[in-house]
Amino acid sequence: MKTLLKKLTAIALAGAVALFAAACGERQKPGANLLGKEEEPIKVVNLFSPMEKTDPDAENVARSATDATVLLAEEKLGVTLAYITYTAEDYQDKTYDDVALDRARNDMDDLYLLNSDVILALGEEGKLEDLSGLESAQNLRDIIRVANTVDGKLVAIPQEVVAYGLFVNKDMFKAAGLELPETPEEFLECCRVFKEEQGVETPVGANRWWLETFVLAQAYADLYNGGNTEAEIAALNSGEAKYSDYMRPGFAFLQEMIDKGYIDAEKALVSEAIEAEGPDFLAGKTPIVMAYWGAANTETAYGAPGFEMEVIGFPSSRGQMPVIPMTGFGVGINAAHKEDAMAALDVMLSDEALQVYSETNRVISPSKNIEVECVPALRPLNDRIQENVYVLGSNASMKVEQWGNTCLIVRDLLAGATVDECMEKFDKLQADSLG
Amino acid sequence: MKKEVDGQKQKGIPLLFSIVLVFCVLGTVVLAVSHRISQEMANSAIQNLSESLDLIQHTMEYALQSEAEFQKLLAREAAASGNPEAYVKAFEKNQTMVQVSFIRQGEEEGVSNTGEAFLANELDFSSGKTVNGLPVSRSYLNHLGTWAYTLQCPVEQDGQELGTLYVEYIYDSLERALPTSFYNHQSTLYVMDAESQRFVLKPKGVGKRNAGHLNLEDFYRANGIEESGLRAEMQACLEGGDNILFYHDVRNTESLNYMWAVNGGSIFLIGYVPIKAIQQEGDTVNQNIFIVVAVMLVAFSLCFLLYYLNKRQQDKIRKEREAEREVHSRQLAEALQAAQIASNSKTTFLSNMSHDIRTPMNAVLGFTTLLAMDAGDPAKVREYTKKIMSSGQHLLSLINDVLDVSKIESGKVVLNFDTFTLNSLVSSVDAIIQPMAKAKGQAFHVEVSGIKHEELVGDETRVNQILLNLLSNAVKYTPEGGSIWFRMLGQKQRSSQYERIRIEVEDNGYGMSPEYLKIIFNAFTRAENSTTNKVQGTGLGMAITKSIVELMGGTIDVESQEGKGSLFRVELEFRIPEGQGSRQFWEENGLRQVLAVSGSPDALGDISALLAEAGVDPKRAQSPAEALDLLHNGFSCQAALVDWESLPGEGAQAVRDLRGALPSGALVFLLAEYDAQGMEEALALEDTALLTKPFFVSAFKEKVRELRGTGREKASQEAPESNVLDGLHFLAAEDNEINAEILSELLEIEGATVEIVENGQLAVERFRQAGETEFDAILMDVQMPVMNGYDATRHIRSLDRPDAGRIPIIAMTANAFAEDEKAALDAGMDAHVAKPIRIDLLKKAIWQHTGERSQT
Repeated sequence: MKTLLKKLTAIALAGAVALFAAACGERQKPGANLLGKEEEPIKVVNLFSPMEKTDPDAENVARSATDATVLLAEEKLGVTLAYITYTAEDYQDKTYDDVALDRARNDMDDLYLLNSDVILALGEEGKLEDLSGLESAQNLRDIIRVANTVDGKLVAIPQEVVAYGLFVNKDMFKAAGLELPETPEEFLECCRVFKEEQGVETPVGANRWWLETFVLAQAYADLYNGGNTEAEIAALNSGEAKYSDYMRPGFAFLQEMIDKGYIDAEKALVSEAIEAEGPDFLAGKTPIVMAYWGAANTETAYGAPGFEMEVIGFPSSRGQMPVIPMTGFGVGINAAHKEDAMAALDVMLSDEALQVYSETNRVISPSKNIEVECVPALRPLNDRIQENVYVLGSNASMKVEQWGNTCLIVRDLLAGATVDECMEKFDKLQADSLG
Repeated sequence: MKKEVDGQKQKGIPLLFSIVLVFCVLGTVVLAVSHRISQEMANSAIQNLSESLDLIQHTMEYALQSEAEFQKLLAREAAASGNPEAYVKAFEKNQTMVQVSFIRQGEEEGVSNTGEAFLANELDFSSGKTVNGLPVSRSYLNHLGTWAYTLQCPVEQDGQELGTLYVEYIYDSLERALPTSFYNHQSTLYVMDAESQRFVLKPKGVGKRNAGHLNLEDFYRANGIEESGLRAEMQACLEGGDNILFYHDVRNTESLNYMWAVNGGSIFLIGYVPIKAIQQEGDTVNQNIFIVVAVMLVAFSLCFLLYYLNKRQQDKIRKEREAEREVHSRQLAEALQAAQIASNSKTTFLSNMSHDIRTPMNAVLGFTTLLAMDAGDPAKVREYTKKIMSSGQHLLSLINDVLDVSKIESGKVVLNFDTFTLNSLVSSVDAIIQPMAKAKGQAFHVEVSGIKHEELVGDETRVNQILLNLLSNAVKYTPEGGSIWFRMLGQKQRSSQYERIRIEVEDNGYGMSPEYLKIIFNAFTRAENSTTNKVQGTGLGMAITKSIVELMGGTIDVESQEGKGSLFRVELEFRIPEGQGSRQFWEENGLRQVLAVSGSPDALGDISALLAEAGVDPKRAQSPAEALDLLHNGFSCQAALVDWESLPGEGAQAVRDLRGALPSGALVFLLAEYDAQGMEEALALEDTALLTKPFFVSAFKEKVRELRGTGREKASQEAPESNVLDGLHFLAAEDNEINAEILSELLEIEGATVEIVENGQLAVERFRQAGETEFDAILMDVQMPVMNGYDATRHIRSLDRPDAGRIPIIAMTANAFAEDEKAALDAGMDAHVAKPIRIDLLKKAIWQHTGERSQT
């Protein structure tokens, strides 16, 4: 009893002393300057990038990965990356690519996250700085280097290899007794079964951005996997071969899809990526959509479906074919904070940063030094890429930009243009490139 | 104790209630204060945010108005230049005014400082909003890829409108007017174009950088603002150019949301600030309040705990002291009560004794007076002396009892263990009680059963005392014509070495009240009622009895009912002596088999058991006829025990028949009650004797001896002849002259002479000087001056003369206890006769020793 009393008294006294000490804490001296030392001038790097539309209570995983690398750069360099964002509200708005072009051409920002067509355009205009001198550029896979080199300059470097594929609801395929399609014919048959036998109104969910992946997969499956890639590209660049010849089967395929009601062309034409087709796919109403690799990891996209989902390549004569366009960060040639931007980008693309990025997003890293296990749904797509079976969605060595132009011409098809009319546009583009 | 516990509970409940009340009051006050502070802080937060937004609003409006003012100045300068187109083309764009254009009045296309043609219809001025009087267009993405607006300003000269000056401003330029930090980067702020509801600027220094919203709808969706009423209100504010500030959780964080009109509602500041970001100090204040309250509560609890522990400790000590005091008080009360009881008992006892002693003493003295007066009348003298003797005897018994109790209480009683037979015990008791009972016309029944060993080791005298106390009480307290039962019941042995016996004394007398039963074994108590107070007694008998029983390791209890009688039960254990071999006796007397005849199976069983234990083979017969059958069928025995009461008709004939059937020389013993009648004829038969019930082997053996003709022991037990003292000469040591005179007179009456000396020393001297046959015996008092009787005896025995060792020395002393007798014998005396002297006992003792000596 006495011991307990002693302990209690000691605790009470200690508490009293602590409270007294806290109460009689430091007092400000009268007349002293209450402001701290003048802070160092903040080094700011403006980063222009798209912003996904947000949902309440959902973390933007894709953006979080980039944020992590940005934070790393900020910590290491003492710079602040200010985000400038733009996202088109609807199809009537200027696209992100348009705005990116405007901003880059007017030297509005320092760093830009750019799609492949914009990279090529700005690269050709000489608006982007050569990044080949960055330390991090030494780690890049060859495919990245090739796809982003314009006029001998490495004008952009991505943080992930963006592979596009078909996201399929395997439960619906099983219910319909269908195997996953390998070729365009098989794909059409699957669509027929879904529409005619399973009562699915529109078997393929589409938007105005990503339908070109079907076309590119069929167009260049042989070019990139036939063992004669350089020669075929050279033929295209010299005009000996016609882009329209490559593109026609894919457009014809899309035309058939539209004609048979497997794609709702009108809706697709005015739909933003994922926004329009996503809800139906997640609700199990649409068995097939197309999206990029990261969508399988992103909560805001298809990261948490309530069914068995698998991501496969697009149908082609060589089977399922991943389509890999190149997005990447570029630095404006006249950027106000070019030096800081280059340094920040170097950190953001370092193996350390890319390791964080890849682990966060579970994507294929552009660095040859980083391997990350992908989520199960992505394994079929990943297996093809690991086998070096894929089609590049953009290639800086082609004189006609592919990714953006094909996208725009597909929109024409959606708007009602014929396949021939579309091919004429390719011919024109080719003619323009030949000059 | 229960009352005390209840009392504590009654005290504890208000105390607990008080504590709870204090806590409740404190809690209410704290909550009220906290709530008030929270309310004030909330109001302060609203005010704080409002002021901040007002500041931003005014800053932006100032910037816009400056732009408008500057544009008006440009318009005037352009007009003044005389060639507005040239003026515009020459204007260099800057970070604010990215495009300056002029369209001449009446034309649709104009010029721009970018060198491109400018079409006014590409801009939307339909909202009617103005900045400083200049119409402002709907926001749009300009050629730089950033959000911009255009102000429209007329170019006038001499009151004539030359055209319109359009200047495109980018929202990015407004950022310079905004704070670099807004609530420590925890808040979100956008600039929204009211017309398009597009978010046209997210200042770099304001809000979370990774947040990004496209438009108002996106803002609603991302922040979960779904309430239609709220949305409608916001829409109304949007249309009316009003401000709105409201609470709404954003991603589970309580936030203040706002939409703040700038420039009359052409643009709005929109966003939210987490409450915590505004009330950082508020949280600290609240935390501090709670810390203070918590510390107070802890301190209060600690104080209460200390108080409680201290109080509990004090209560414990107080209770211990109270308990101790209570024990002491109780002990004192008990002691007082015991003392009072003892005092009362002793007072009562003394009163009783006074009465009881004075009564016989009165008789003694009274009759002595009468004796003196009527000395000439022999009949009266005998009558008076008889009464004096009776009163003296009673007085003596009173004194003996008092002394016995005194001795027992002082622990001086020592048991003298020796071998005794139950037969002798029962016989002696029976011999005393039977006449007493008979005198009162009471039936006295003796029953012995289940006894396996009748020769036992114990203090026969004390057992005798117990039995006599119980039985004499039974006689005393049973009215005339009543019955008394004395039972001696063998119990199951706990050890083969001990015989366990239950003694029961039952009567159908007055009985005792329950109150008296509780104190019956206490000393100095006596049943007092109208019936029993006729009975004389010390009231010590039962106390003595109980003490002796307990001294022997036994138990005593009693059951009684007033008017119905009493039952005393005494349980005692006696050691069985080793080597109880009496086989030799049977063999010597030729007894191997004995026929037992009785109509009572129990009695047969007891007899058989005792005989078997003694080494004789018993044969049972439940009737004389059965016995005859056995005998006729060749059964041979050397003796027959026949229960007189089981014999039909005239028992003598049955005995005769048995006698005839028994082998020649066989002994017949008739078992009968003490007062059995009509046995003379049967007992007249040859080799037939009476054996008084209950059956004991020892009595049986005695009778066998008698019938076989050995009578030595018998002779020694018989009473001495009346003139045994005639002619004898004694030396007596007696210091009391009266006693000496009485002795002299008594002996003289008996024909003996005595020489009295006054102490032991003189006795020794006198004996030393006496001739060898001068004295026949020495009568020795014990307590004497100069030399006591024991020392004198030892001296006499040690004298060097032939008769020193054999001359009978008889102690004749008032030291009347058994241990006194033992001490006398140990000192070398031959016998012990207690004072007051009973001449018959003295004669018996003298005869036994002088007679024996003369025989030898």
